[in-house]
Amino acid sequence: MQEEVSQIYYLSEMAVTVEFGQQIAENLLTAVNNLNLLLYERPFPGFKTTVPAYATLTVFYDPILVIKSNLSGTGSFEKVSGYLNDLKLQSNTTKAVKGDVVTIPVCYDLDFGPDLTEVASVHQMSTAEVIKLHSAGAYKVYMMGFMPGFAYLGGMDAQLTTPRKATPRKSVPAGAVGIAGQQTGVYPLETPGGWQIIGQTPLKLFDVNRKQPSLLKAGDTVIFKPIDVYAFNKLAAG
Amino acid sequence: MSTIQDLGRYQYLSQAVPVCGAVDSLSARIANKAVGNEDNAAVIEFTYADAEFISETDLLIAYAGDGAILKSGEQELPCDRPLFIPSGTFIKLINNPSGCRTYLAIAGGWDVPEILGSRSTFLIAGFGGMDGRVLKKGDTLKNEATQSVITQKILKSFNCGKVNYPEWSICRQLLLPANRKVIRVVPANEFGWFSGRSTADFLSAPHIIGRQSNRMGYHLEGVVLHRVKHHELLSTAVTPGTIQVTGSGSLVLLMADCQTTGGYPRIAQVAAVDLPLCGQLKPGDTLNFKEIGPREAEMLYIEREQYLQQLTIAVQTKYL
Repeated sequence: MQEEVSQIYYLSEMAVTVEFGQQIAENLLTAVNNLNLLLYERPFPGFKTTVPAYATLTVFYDPILVIKSNLSGTGSFEKVSGYLNDLKLQSNTTKAVKGDVVTIPVCYDLDFGPDLTEVASVHQMSTAEVIKLHSAGAYKVYMMGFMPGFAYLGGMDAQLTTPRKATPRKSVPAGAVGIAGQQTGVYPLETPGGWQIIGQTPLKLFDVNRKQPSLLKAGDTVIFKPIDVYAFNKLAAG
Repeated sequence: MSTIQDLGRYQYLSQAVPVCGAVDSLSARIANKAVGNEDNAAVIEFTYADAEFISETDLLIAYAGDGAILKSGEQELPCDRPLFIPSGTFIKLINNPSGCRTYLAIAGGWDVPEILGSRSTFLIAGFGGMDGRVLKKGDTLKNEATQSVITQKILKSFNCGKVNYPEWSICRQLLLPANRKVIRVVPANEFGWFSGRSTADFLSAPHIIGRQSNRMGYHLEGVVLHRVKHHELLSTAVTPGTIQVTGSGSLVLLMADCQTTGGYPRIAQVAAVDLPLCGQLKPGDTLNFKEIGPREAEMLYIEREQYLQQLTIAVQTKYL
């Protein structure tokens, strides 16, 4: 394992960030997710919630409750960072936790993937080859961000690297599967967007009526499974 | 623009659901306290004064904030205190040039469903508040049926039949600094990524609120910052009050609806007690930043919270 400089820094009166390093790396993602899980198992008084990212775990809390607690240190920053430092030492020894494997059905039909031909021609391959490469991979959810339910995915085949569209679309439908540079991802909501759209999933990436509104979470593995229009419509109808 | 807000949605940040909530949370809390509500009860956030409404029943309401003054006919209604409004009263918001946002609380809070632990509207994803959208002409809103003991006591103290209100008010001014355009900030993790000249400019030069400013964030014009460290910041958590520096060196102050993560280096974090002041600034306004340490920011926060707690008790003791 590569040696990384880690630190805990102040974000606001009610949040600190534990930084494990400054790059995208499997071992850092594991460290972030392990500390996150351990913290939910052993929360401190006043703990509210976390935001895991590529190489950081940000911890939100109620400073009044933290100060009233018997954690050691002066002030909530010192108290919480002391606690997290201890927890970090314990979480380093735990094994990598496996996230869930989530299969996302995608219809790569040209009606759902308006940029499929463009992506294929950029790489001088057939659309079938693009679909094959894109659906062959297993993608890791590096972090959630940008908009509710949006997952930053890692692990796309480098052959599919495609620049964003020169002019962003005014509206991309919810469920659209796109490529931007070395990244691939799924739009959870209808929004303007500049990604190359190669398909669409009938699944809801984000639904406030679910107990866990987001389909994906940091640490999960995503598999894209090609489906035809018939299957898409059937799944979309529920 | 008018939306329903409370103090925000914190439990789903990890799924990239933004906090939302009242931009000037101090005014929202004071309006709630004045009618005997919990601080977190749903309020209407009015931006400027483009609203008017009519009471279809007798109402107990209160408003706070600097974007508008409420009027019933020619009668100006005072802010920061409970108001009894009889059924059939027409109320109009008149623009108040001193600020931007006004909060209207009602006995029990506005009755909208709690979505993901909050009643705040999140416009981009279209959920929370009134069907996830801004309030529009013709909407009918009602208050929650369940009301606190203190709310009931306030209601009983009124003479029915006409607009009336007590002598007392919550003195919001006491909680505000003399100069509301000096915003205290704590240097953020990437403060040292900028040249000494740039950080000095940041802390001394005036910043103008840009026209492209909304509930997600404010663009700050007037100062361009130069970096001495040029590596990329890996996307990480940000929070309302975070001041980011874009690739061109301009500043963005993140507000209530901001994304949960960001990849721009952060130069400073607005002190929690001063963030409500930013909620009253509007495009064209000028502000200055003043550096404080994290410990001082925390002490200010604790002091503010204790004071707000005392205000709740003070309102209760008026109706023993």
